[in-house]
Amino acid sequence: MSSSEVVNAAVAADSGNSQEEPVANISLESITEGKNDRGIPATKFLDDIELFANSFKPPASPELLIGAYSDLYSKFKAYEQQLEQKRATYEEKLPEIEKSITLVRHLKEKKEAGESGVVTRYNLADTIYSKAEVDCSQGIVNLWLGANVMLEYTYDEALELLTSKQTVAKKDFKEVSEDLTFTRNQIITSEVNISRIYNWDIRRKRESKRAGSN
Amino acid sequence: MILAKDEENDAEVRREDQDQINEFGMLNARLHEVRREADRLKVRSARVLDHKLLEKIDDASTELMMGNGDRVMLRLGGAMFEATEDEATEFCEAEVERNQETLDKLSEEEGGILGRQAGLKEKLYGRFGKSINLEDK
Repeated sequence: MSSSEVVNAAVAADSGNSQEEPVANISLESITEGKNDRGIPATKFLDDIELFANSFKPPASPELLIGAYSDLYSKFKAYEQQLEQKRATYEEKLPEIEKSITLVRHLKEKKEAGESGVVTRYNLADTIYSKAEVDCSQGIVNLWLGANVMLEYTYDEALELLTSKQTVAKKDFKEVSEDLTFTRNQIITSEVNISRIYNWDIRRKRESKRAGSN
Repeated sequence: MILAKDEENDAEVRREDQDQINEFGMLNARLHEVRREADRLKVRSARVLDHKLLEKIDDASTELMMGNGDRVMLRLGGAMFEATEDEATEFCEAEVERNQETLDKLSEEEGGILGRQAGLKEKLYGRFGKSINLEDK
């Protein structure tokens, strides 16, 4: 599901609840404005709370508004978690790819230096390494492609594949990081909106009390 | 947090204020990341395998120097390759340089972030006083 579908689905699920507070009356569109490149909605910044509350028919109560923004806040928080996990996966993937690139480059160097046999110790089991002689003159290396599939490549082909994998991984990482920053901004904006609505309400009640007692 | 009457601040939150608050939050998140990455290079962490990387390389270089010219094992990726002492020393030096460069860049970034945060704090505290809290817990 795209991210905007996720948020919309969650809002729809909420309106299925039988609540006394008709939170469902406040649509996602009215409390958000636009979305980022990947479809994550942006929290609407409220320039004037009074105006905003009165833009609804009937005028929205503070409780209603706070409820709507709290919901939005929770959804963003949940999405933030997802993004953090995704990001951690990419963070792990990149060094792995880089290790493979280093290894293939090393073998290529050895071949170009004319050395035909490279002696290596490889990981036979957890704590045991076994000696092996690698013939670099062949110029062949095998790469795991995932799904238990391994394919043969020349050094140059391998480097090409690995570097393109690296580029994609870096791009994905950058996108996830941007989404994460964006989501966090929406979280902060929602929190600030909630505080402001609450304060506005308090001030309003205080003033009406003062006006009432005059 | 309930403020006393005289501590209350009536300054309205404008869009630019919101943007500054958001920027501060983003800088803070990045600051923590930068420090985490720098620590990985410098500091002994709780995970056994993550010892100070630079120190590790340093130890390795020292061992190499004290060595007796035998062939040494160089660990690349998951496997170990036999290498001459010279090759290994060269490798270590290149690694040290690379990681030190990364560390320097991270320090620079950290400094930049702290500077911008200080500027934002001045603006936001100036405008909102006690109604806002920009300190790290």
